Amino acid sequence: MQEAVPTPTGRDGAGDRPGPRPAAAGPLAALLGRVSPEGWMILPTMVVLLAVSIYPFAYMIRMSLMEYSPMPQVPATFVGLGNWAEMLRDQAIWGSWLTTLVYFVGALGLELLLGVLIALLIERTPVLQDTLATVILSPMFVAPVLVGLLWRFLLHDSYGIYTYGLRQLGLLSPQTSILGSPATALPAVILMDAWEWTPLVLIVVLAGLRALPHDVMEAAVVDGANYWQQVWYVTLPLLRPVILVAALIRSMDLLRYIDHIMVTTAGGPADTTKIVGVRIYEEAFRFFRLGYASAIGLAMIFVTILLGRLFVNLLGGEQEAA
Amino acid sequence: MASAAVGGKPRSRLVTAAIILLDLAVLFWFAFPILWMGISAFKDQAGMFTMPPPLLFEPTLANYQHLIDRGALLYFRNSLVASLGTVAVATSLGALAGYGLARGRFRHKQDVAWWIITTRMAPIPAVLVPLYVIFRNLGMLNSLWGLIFAFTTFSLPLAVWLMISFFRDVPRELEEAVWVDGGTVFRSFWDVALPLVTPGLIATATLSFIFSWNDYLFATVLTSGDTQTLPVVTASLQTMHGVVWGQVMSMGTLIFVPVLLLGFAIRKYLVRGLSLGAVK
Repeated sequence: MQEAVPTPTGRDGAGDRPGPRPAAAGPLAALLGRVSPEGWMILPTMVVLLAVSIYPFAYMIRMSLMEYSPMPQVPATFVGLGNWAEMLRDQAIWGSWLTTLVYFVGALGLELLLGVLIALLIERTPVLQDTLATVILSPMFVAPVLVGLLWRFLLHDSYGIYTYGLRQLGLLSPQTSILGSPATALPAVILMDAWEWTPLVLIVVLAGLRALPHDVMEAAVVDGANYWQQVWYVTLPLLRPVILVAALIRSMDLLRYIDHIMVTTAGGPADTTKIVGVRIYEEAFRFFRLGYASAIGLAMIFVTILLGRLFVNLLGGEQEAA
Repeated sequence: MASAAVGGKPRSRLVTAAIILLDLAVLFWFAFPILWMGISAFKDQAGMFTMPPPLLFEPTLANYQHLIDRGALLYFRNSLVASLGTVAVATSLGALAGYGLARGRFRHKQDVAWWIITTRMAPIPAVLVPLYVIFRNLGMLNSLWGLIFAFTTFSLPLAVWLMISFFRDVPRELEEAVWVDGGTVFRSFWDVALPLVTPGLIATATLSFIFSWNDYLFATVLTSGDTQTLPVVTASLQTMHGVVWGQVMSMGTLIFVPVLLLGFAIRKYLVRGLSLGAVK
């Protein structure tokens, strides 16, 4: 870190840019003297993140090379790359990655599609636009674990009101269990996530929609474009950056949270909802195979860091363009 | 509003009717589950399982009474302590670092900011694996301050990024006046910039609170017994004596209502906060 801000030197100690001090001797003091006041302000955060993020990360790499016993007293043994080799050979893990991909693409696609459509709908609503948007936001504030519990209640085989409704409408056979059938369990947990997080896409897109330049929109109307042509050729291209932001925020959190899956299907039936996060949780905290879980976890962190890089690069690009 | 001007020609009644119909469908889809939670919280166990559900029923506070008998207030307190502790750490450190990163000019500033946000992206189940073993080794399991420590992994990066965004809005000239008068950078931060970003600081604190308060996974792994939080206890209600749905739903309202009120209170900053400052 190098100081470069043209600020005058102050009087009091805390945020002071350290000038040549009488006591400053030796290389350490010289190094500290070169840290700018802004650098000092970042330091506490860096130290805390070092403790809660970098250290656990390094520790996790070490853990991935060890075999842990379910008994906490029994010391772990070094197994080299054994966990990694097992992970690469494990068909179930590859299956989980495939499930993760379906879950990710399904939920993200659904949330973006519905979010954009509902934003357009609200923008066309003659009255109470803001009230409508505000009420629709509510699911975002439901704790993800509660989303799972609530939907488990709604979809319960014998007294779930949604199950009852679907059966009355003849859309669901009396024998079919929505969360218990391999065909419907994954769509159900995708739908739960979409229920909670479509509103996020919605408010981000709505904010973008309201910031659009009106003259461009009016020009399209003057040119004789109908509503859907206007949406497709003018509105959506202009909304691209905003939709991108929404997509990438959701991408991050889609892989982060597994709460609603843990309390509904816990990965079942027949592993159909066992996305990688659930698999890690299971290996670590049900089977206590902490070394193996570390290897899978590191692979997953690697994937999310790649995604995160994409997020930050695109976002950084958009911000500079703004 | 805006669409009327953009739409150009007057819309037919048919289109308006279709729009309103769709609005109602959307409203039902998003609001009904929450409404159903609220209703079920006041039903007795028998009334809950009648299908079709009766339109009218005798509301009861029995579920809440059961929860309080079971020590729900303790878990409420735990949730509150862990969340407020996290808010204190995240907001204070986040404001300092946010200012430093918004104003400072040093090499690798972007890299530092990116690294900070990367820690917010790591999947919770993966983060938990080493954290659990480290906590176990240090005897930090089952403690609320351990939980605060764990919550910091996601709330501090969020706070830093939001505060960078808010501090960038403060006109530099105001701070330069302080420097001309011989004040330090810390003084311009404290006396000038911080008061100007107070709404942003409150929004940041509120979001940190919400994400900590709503956490389930960290707390279910890192705490047990007397240190459990509301979401953990709520999820465990479903296995202890079959599923006591009435209590699950009433506990759900205890978790949800405070967050809903907080969320609406910072409605103006929600888009910005949830998009990590990218959309204003």
